[in-house]
Amino acid sequence: MKETLRDLRFTLNGKQVELKVKPKTLLLKLLREELKLKGTRTGCEVSACGACTVNLDGKAVRACSILAVQVDGHEVVTIEGVADGDKLHPIQEAMVKHGAIECGFCTSGMVMSSRALLLENPRATREDIKKAIQGNLCADSGYVKYVEAIEMAAKVMQGK
Amino acid sequence: MKDFNYFAPKTVKEAVSLLEELKGDGKIICGGQSLLILMKQNMLTIENLVDIKGISELDYIKYSDKEGLRIGALATHSAIEKSPVIKKNCPVLAEMEDNLAVVQTRNYGTIGGNVCHGDPAADPPSVFIVLDATYRLVGPAGERMVNPEDFYKDYLEVDLAPDELLCEIRVPKLPANTGVAHEKLMAQKGDMGIVGAAASVTVNPSTGACENVRIALTNVASTPFRARSSEKFLIGKIIDEKLMEEAGMIASQEIDPPADVHGSQEYRRDMARVFLKRVTARALKKATQKK
Amino acid sequence: MEGNRPNYSVLGKSVPRVDTPLKVTGQAKYAADYEMGGMLWGKIKRAPYAHARILNIDTSKAERLPGVKGVITGKDFGGFKWGWQAHTRDESPLAVKKLRYMYEGVAAVAATDEDIAEEACDLIDVDYEELPAVFDPFEAMKEGAPLVHEDRPRNILVEYHWNFGDVDKAFDESHLVREDLFQTPRMAKGYIEPPAVVAWWEHDTLHYIGAKGSPYMLWRIMGRAFDLPLNKVRIITPFVGCDFGGTKNDGHALDFAAILLAKKTGRPVKIVYTQWEELTTCLRRHAMWVRVKMGLSKDGMIKGLYTNVVADGGAYARMSPVTMYLTNGQCTVPYKIDNFRTDTWNVYTNNPIAAAMRGHGMYHTRYAIDCQLDLMAKELGIDPVEIRHKNSIDNPKPGEIFYTVNKLRVATCGIKECIEQSAKLFGWKEYQKRERTDGPIVRGAGIAASAFLSGARLTGHNSCSAIVRINEDGSVNLQTGATDVGMGSDTAMCAIAAETLGVEMKDVEIKRVDTAYSYPDPGSYGSRVTIYAGEATMKAAEDAKRQLLDAAAKEMNVFPEELEIKNKRVFTKTDETRGLPWLDVVRAACYASIGNVIVGRGVSRKGTKGFSAKAFSTGEGDVGTNYGFAAQINEVEVDTETGVVKCTEKSAMADDCGFPLNPAIVETQGIGGSYHQGIAAALYEEFVMENGSTLNPNFVDYKRPRAYEAPFPKFAHVITNDPFGPFGVKEASEATSCTGAPAVVSAIYDATGVMIKDMPATPEKVWRALREKKKAEKSK
Repeated sequence: MKETLRDLRFTLNGKQVELKVKPKTLLLKLLREELKLKGTRTGCEVSACGACTVNLDGKAVRACSILAVQVDGHEVVTIEGVADGDKLHPIQEAMVKHGAIECGFCTSGMVMSSRALLLENPRATREDIKKAIQGNLCADSGYVKYVEAIEMAAKVMQGK
Repeated sequence: MKDFNYFAPKTVKEAVSLLEELKGDGKIICGGQSLLILMKQNMLTIENLVDIKGISELDYIKYSDKEGLRIGALATHSAIEKSPVIKKNCPVLAEMEDNLAVVQTRNYGTIGGNVCHGDPAADPPSVFIVLDATYRLVGPAGERMVNPEDFYKDYLEVDLAPDELLCEIRVPKLPANTGVAHEKLMAQKGDMGIVGAAASVTVNPSTGACENVRIALTNVASTPFRARSSEKFLIGKIIDEKLMEEAGMIASQEIDPPADVHGSQEYRRDMARVFLKRVTARALKKATQKK
Repeated sequence: MEGNRPNYSVLGKSVPRVDTPLKVTGQAKYAADYEMGGMLWGKIKRAPYAHARILNIDTSKAERLPGVKGVITGKDFGGFKWGWQAHTRDESPLAVKKLRYMYEGVAAVAATDEDIAEEACDLIDVDYEELPAVFDPFEAMKEGAPLVHEDRPRNILVEYHWNFGDVDKAFDESHLVREDLFQTPRMAKGYIEPPAVVAWWEHDTLHYIGAKGSPYMLWRIMGRAFDLPLNKVRIITPFVGCDFGGTKNDGHALDFAAILLAKKTGRPVKIVYTQWEELTTCLRRHAMWVRVKMGLSKDGMIKGLYTNVVADGGAYARMSPVTMYLTNGQCTVPYKIDNFRTDTWNVYTNNPIAAAMRGHGMYHTRYAIDCQLDLMAKELGIDPVEIRHKNSIDNPKPGEIFYTVNKLRVATCGIKECIEQSAKLFGWKEYQKRERTDGPIVRGAGIAASAFLSGARLTGHNSCSAIVRINEDGSVNLQTGATDVGMGSDTAMCAIAAETLGVEMKDVEIKRVDTAYSYPDPGSYGSRVTIYAGEATMKAAEDAKRQLLDAAAKEMNVFPEELEIKNKRVFTKTDETRGLPWLDVVRAACYASIGNVIVGRGVSRKGTKGFSAKAFSTGEGDVGTNYGFAAQINEVEVDTETGVVKCTEKSAMADDCGFPLNPAIVETQGIGGSYHQGIAAALYEEFVMENGSTLNPNFVDYKRPRAYEAPFPKFAHVITNDPFGPFGVKEASEATSCTGAPAVVSAIYDATGVMIKDMPATPEKVWRALREKKKAEKSK
């Protein structure tokens, strides 16, 4: 009975996905290994680095800290689903323009955390932004430029 | 991680009968923000995982003057953090949630999961103790109301039978002239408190004396620590800085705190003093500011 | 050229980086993202002892587990040993007869999935004989201590004793002499991407994709390890998630194991380390005990400096000989020091291996020297900014060179201006007039200044090469061996090529390093990439440009020397209206006769002059090409009841990198990563060890800097146009890696009167120090 696969149906980057998974499969593993979406990164095993952040029903969560079966019936957006085809999301545009990205390993997580923030709070302040990415570690670019880029994106999204 | 049998009940009734069937061999997972970390590192082997995240009937935050605040066990930390109901009627919970871990944890982790995990460093138990809350448990025999103070037995050990489910946390309406505060020792925002403290202070508006005080400390023992001697010392007096300092000293001498990479026993002892003092001062200020 | 600033089209401008669009959409592929058909997953079996003999390994049960396709042990590498230098080859890919640090790898498994590989590791039975171990370098140096390597008496890997000038005389003549002991902790590299590799064999060539910043090292090491000529070793670098000089700069068990397992099984093998493996077994910053003695004149001029440094190098040598050189030999910058002596040791212990890390070596003594300077400045009543400014090396006039007492060649030195700019941006003068509060929250500010060498030249191969290919449609391919591990070198190289060729950034395409197609550059370490790859790229672009101009000259009936290219147009210098569009010239060149291929090649040469191979052992002579400088000021807020220290928003930094090829990139590095690494080193980071075991091998218990506590410093570029770097370039963000920690520690000193001499200044440490200070004051 432990080997039994469970049905999993959810919306991924706007499309319906249906497959069978082992209950113990983490969402992160499902995304990377089974669905071949490598943009969500594996950084640590203790839910500390945020590199695996995705959006679940519009909220930032760590894919390493959720069982895949738990997203059944829900909506997941990963980094691959943020841009609109070739058109970058304002957050992505700002991060590129403002020079926020260095090695890029934390970038997916940063985009997903800030995307969720601005979805819920389009008028996010600097303090809000810092809190929103407190769970996202960055080792080489640091945080200043990411915060400034997100601020810029928020302005763009508000039409300023 | 090893494979396990997986169940996802959709109602409390389903969950309880399932747990009963599993005869003590079922482990509840909800948001999994505490449990999954242990499972991922193979620190826990689970035969039967009962996923209650889908029990939507437990996801609510309600308030009425008569019944006070009722928080469903599945309310996420984020929901509590942002709830206008909470901000209006029990803002200390929102204050506590603002410093609880990081947003990713708060978005998926639930108050019930945190409360039942039994980590002596966790914040919610101490706040619920000083709020004089009650935990509503449901099992095959029916419901059981438990005091938070009595709920915590030891490190990661709580008074929850294997066939029981925490359904609700009830916080009575705050008495008049009461202030509640929570604070913890963090190097970075969101850290587990090296030491933490919650206090509820009720003041007599005419005399200015302390009518009631409840203080609980975290991460100074294997369960939340109720600073009863400090409380006794303060009740009936007009609390000032000197008294709070002394109350802090009393607690610091009572406790036998753990030592780890974040703090030695000696340091925690002194920090218990400092945080008891600070949190009582803030609660007092809030109490006297109320109209 | 270096004296003036030419009118550049691309260089010196904050052009967007070439690789960030891929990174921001999640399309950038890192090592762990690669998959090959038939791929197996590998895992390393690790020993639970810090020091033990391996008596026997029984892999039979593991081999029988369904899904397991290959098992190897240390013996399977045929006695191969490796190390940074020929005489320091003390490490085996997997431990053979003896293991020397906790969790050192002893065997490896390849299986059809990760879980099976892990299970198989548990089924490998190893008989160990635990040996007495040593974890403290002072204990390790004592006679009779257990030997980590039998051929290294007293566990000493390397020791240097250098003497320049007359330090004793200098101390005699000093007004104030002071000796202090400082300690730096073991630190994690801190990158988020764990090491990962995919290896396979095809057409009897070894193929390797791994997260490495210095593919050259692996190319050479694996050629030797697997007895292959270099033309059959193909090292491919994917995008790399940071390096900082550690395991991703050099080899580790996973690299060798994946390759050998791939050979044995005939299938591709992938190994991805967990972050736990990275934090317990991979390379870390040395812990050092830094004793400094300094003599100052009455007006605060440094007369002499003595350093006595003992470092815990861990179980194997790696780059420790270089580390000890950098720690001490570079003490003579950024301040003028006429008398300098050092005694220094790197010691083997049964702790995990220590190696290079950002601010390599200099980081340790910079902390000690700058903090001691503040203690002495206080005694003399001299302002910390002033004392650094007056002691700083002056910026040599164009054409002149300053040589330190140990013959480091400094052609440009912007440190005085860096100090001035930081102080101005911070508002240092006004800050000194502030009213101090009693607490419990107190504030204070501290400054630190540092240098760092760039264009490091280690022994062996140091040159870089580049190829610029102009295609028939006018697009340009650029290939160098240099690896961009996030610092932006790919963008810088494209900018250099674009500038030289007179085209736009978007016309130039750079691909990841692949040793089958490009000669690998020695690597991304010692801040050498822009210097060497920059020069090579410039030369390759110039070579391609010459070929183009030859063809254009024929078309336009002029001499090639009369032509220039700018904004994608080839024109005569004397009459700009006379010209041809870029594409026309390219076509003319490519289609001439039966067809032509425009390939420009360049090799870096500048760095070789003045290099002293003996510098590493004598401390005399240059190993760098030039020196970058930086100054940093931070304000901190100290809660004197709890010891918690926070950096406030008030902070400033100034960096002299010669000429910022891309100011935005320099700024991001300066105020971003290196800035926070420095602060985190001062406040949070240390591996807590117990008998060789790391007690906090995860990012919860080992604190890394986070966004909420990050200050947003003001930043200034100081431009000095160095003659020895292409376009005047020097390193960026290494000097700034050394300023953070001492600036914060000095700020704590200013706020509380307590100097934390053993980083990090954790809340408990500060609390304890404050209590002791109070006690000491009471007893007076």
